Amino acid sequence: MLKKLLSRPMRLPRLKPYVPSPDDPAIFWFNSERDDIIREVVRRLVERYAHDRASLEYALNEVAFHETRRLEGQRDEEAKAALGYWRGLLRRIARMSDDAKRDALRGIAQRMARDIAGNFDPRVYSLATRVTPRLLTGVMRPASLPQDLASLGAPAIDEMLRAEGELDLLKRLEKIGTLVYVPTHSSNLDSIALGYSLMREDLAPVVYGAGKNLFTNPIISFFMHNLGAYRVDRRVSARLYKEALKTYSCVMIERGYHSLFFPGGTRSRSGMLERHLKLGLAGTAVEAFARNQVFGIDRPVWFVPVTINYGLVMEAESLIEDHLKLMGEARYIIEDDEFSQVDRWVTFFRKLIGTQGACVIRYGRPVDCFGNTVDDDGRSVAPGGTVVDPGTYVWRHGAPVLDAHRDAAYTRELGETLLDVYRKDTVLMQTQLTAHVLFRRLVRETPGVDLFGRLRFRGEVRMPREDFVRDLGETRDRAAAVESAGGVRLSRKLRKSTPEAILDESIAVWDGYHTRCVSRQVGSDIVAEDPTLLLYYQNRLVDYAQQVASDDDLPAAREISLLGAQA
Amino acid sequence: MSAPVGVVGGGRFGRSLATAILRSGDAILWSRSGGEEAHVTTEVKELSRCELIFLSVPSTHVPAVAKALAPHLDGRHLLVHVSRGLIGDDLWTVSRHLRHNTPARRVGCLAGPLDAEAFSEDRPGGGIVGTQFPEVADAVRAAIAGASLRLYDSRDVVGVEVASAMVGLLALQAGFCLERHIPPSAMAVMMSRGLAEAARVGVKLGGEEATFYGMAGSGDLFAALGGDERAEVRLGRALARKLDLEAAGREAGAYIEGVTIARRVAAYAERVGIEAPIAAVTARALDGEMSIEDGLRYLMER
Repeated sequence: MLKKLLSRPMRLPRLKPYVPSPDDPAIFWFNSERDDIIREVVRRLVERYAHDRASLEYALNEVAFHETRRLEGQRDEEAKAALGYWRGLLRRIARMSDDAKRDALRGIAQRMARDIAGNFDPRVYSLATRVTPRLLTGVMRPASLPQDLASLGAPAIDEMLRAEGELDLLKRLEKIGTLVYVPTHSSNLDSIALGYSLMREDLAPVVYGAGKNLFTNPIISFFMHNLGAYRVDRRVSARLYKEALKTYSCVMIERGYHSLFFPGGTRSRSGMLERHLKLGLAGTAVEAFARNQVFGIDRPVWFVPVTINYGLVMEAESLIEDHLKLMGEARYIIEDDEFSQVDRWVTFFRKLIGTQGACVIRYGRPVDCFGNTVDDDGRSVAPGGTVVDPGTYVWRHGAPVLDAHRDAAYTRELGETLLDVYRKDTVLMQTQLTAHVLFRRLVRETPGVDLFGRLRFRGEVRMPREDFVRDLGETRDRAAAVESAGGVRLSRKLRKSTPEAILDESIAVWDGYHTRCVSRQVGSDIVAEDPTLLLYYQNRLVDYAQQVASDDDLPAAREISLLGAQA
Repeated sequence: MSAPVGVVGGGRFGRSLATAILRSGDAILWSRSGGEEAHVTTEVKELSRCELIFLSVPSTHVPAVAKALAPHLDGRHLLVHVSRGLIGDDLWTVSRHLRHNTPARRVGCLAGPLDAEAFSEDRPGGGIVGTQFPEVADAVRAAIAGASLRLYDSRDVVGVEVASAMVGLLALQAGFCLERHIPPSAMAVMMSRGLAEAARVGVKLGGEEATFYGMAGSGDLFAALGGDERAEVRLGRALARKLDLEAAGREAGAYIEGVTIARRVAAYAERVGIEAPIAAVTARALDGEMSIEDGLRYLMER
């Protein structure tokens, strides 16, 4: 009951409205623009589908068909309320007049846009800035709550979460243009960690689409609803709905709302870095830039590649199981993973308490919509060092024009640029390297065995601690060389700790959070206990496997990098 | 009315392009050696006035040209190259090099069964523009397509570029086979296998297999076999008459990309684990490590 209450849109009562000041980011005005934005989204959708009879009829049929099918399977409150409407529409479409069809489309578009549109409450934002760190700390370590609330020192969460990269540049750029954050995605904690990190670094809040399923977690739901999250119902497959989401995102970016989306589309199941991007929403940013240019608004749009790197991933076990179960045909929505279990939250954060930099968020150098980097003054710098006006990329015959095909092509190329930046900006964590060295040993000792065969070698591969530590140290040093060449990043701890400490801390971090033992020391041997979780953590290194391998390990490393090619 | 169309490179193909462009519009041809004609310049910055710029230089010169051109370009420029080469050991396509080394993003490749004289003289013929950007293909058509020149387009830029490069290699062998009167059946086997090999390389580099059996691949090869006597074919014929590579090159009368890519394609194929015996044998034959006869025998017996 309580859960149900909390997952409904909760708002603070309208007692004292917040009056935005001119220095506030665009989002502080969101509530006054909300209706206007919804109107604009609906207008564009109607314009897009109602221009001729065939496309209008197709759009209606498609949405009615998909919604009917979805709701028939769902059999819940929502189905009871809406199924009748869609069935009726399906029956009537053929007999409806053009005007009636257009009205029906407008009505549907309106409902969709309203459902999507978020809310931003500046009071919740300011409450969140003050309370969240301590609240999160409290969840993690209830006993210390009174002290933390009273003390002025940094709450424990601030130690766990490290932000690095181009923070100063972002602070300058967010005042001149619109930032679109595009992070890697490995956990549902990502949006919270990133949102919190932005807040702590004094960067403007962002709007982002959060899966409706996230809103079922009572702890987060309240903040989600009031911090500018818009709702994405991933069960709705109708094209009109997807178009509504994209249009909403486009209008928001056009109006200068800093945005966030995960171009990987869904959490990485394998633990690997993103290899294929879903660029639908990225495309809306390119379109927004072009539209503004055409209307004479010269506001830059910059993509900010971000890597979110965890030493311990809350949902690791569910994710890798899902990856293996279907190898490529993953369930899109996992409803019942660790993220929705409160006890897993408590265990997770308790585990990480005192672990400095358990999560490293690296803010990369922004690029414009066309893959050019940006200098300190926000000018686009093309390869070779030429400063260019990004507006010229949407010119044709001397003037800016709209062209969806062109923007789609730009977006595809932008995707390649992002993948490239992710690879170079990934921050390798201690557990990932430890897992890699162990897994590589497993591969080396099981020649000719396929991946699934190897995963059955539970606790069967071991190596003397002394050898392992040496191997780990050498591998770390080679990774550091890759870092010097600009190929990857190492977390501060991975760079500075002794190999012994890296190993011990990795085992300590896994131990007691994951329900299965990942690796442990038996006598003087290090044992690879759970190849599946080792695989998950080491997968972050598939792209660098050959670069960090010794000559003896090279054949095993080649096999590991093939995992990446097959994904 | 509209901006002039630029051409980089004063070789045979570049000059034919300029002739074709001048039929219906303005052209600026940038050539280091200059020339008499009004539209020829030695000043690279002149090209910034253009929207569409053709690059008609061998792939080995592309890095230098891109560097010289880059400061004068921005997002409005459309670059289209006609090279049959691939750059470096990783076989970067020319359009990829341009994208990564100049401000231009809207790039493409003009390929297929084109023949320089055909379009400067407006004889019937055709080709294909590989580009992700529809406006690039439109601009190329507007610039050079006469009543009888049919230009198709493909989104698979990498496929078109790799096909174009690999057909250059195959055309060289076709020249050799024609001169030696190798039986048509044997030649057909060689060429079909060659296309399949080209497709393997292309797919590995990110292209689509179908492109190799379309205008950019087999279409281009049909023209070579049908007697267009392009430079690669002439080179193959000269080699068949036992001329050494240098003399054969002089006789063919043009810079030939096929010679330089055979070895790199073979090495790349080995590195990434795909089969490319034809490239390997051609490389060895061109380097004088085996005779072309032995190479052909080896391929047929394999």
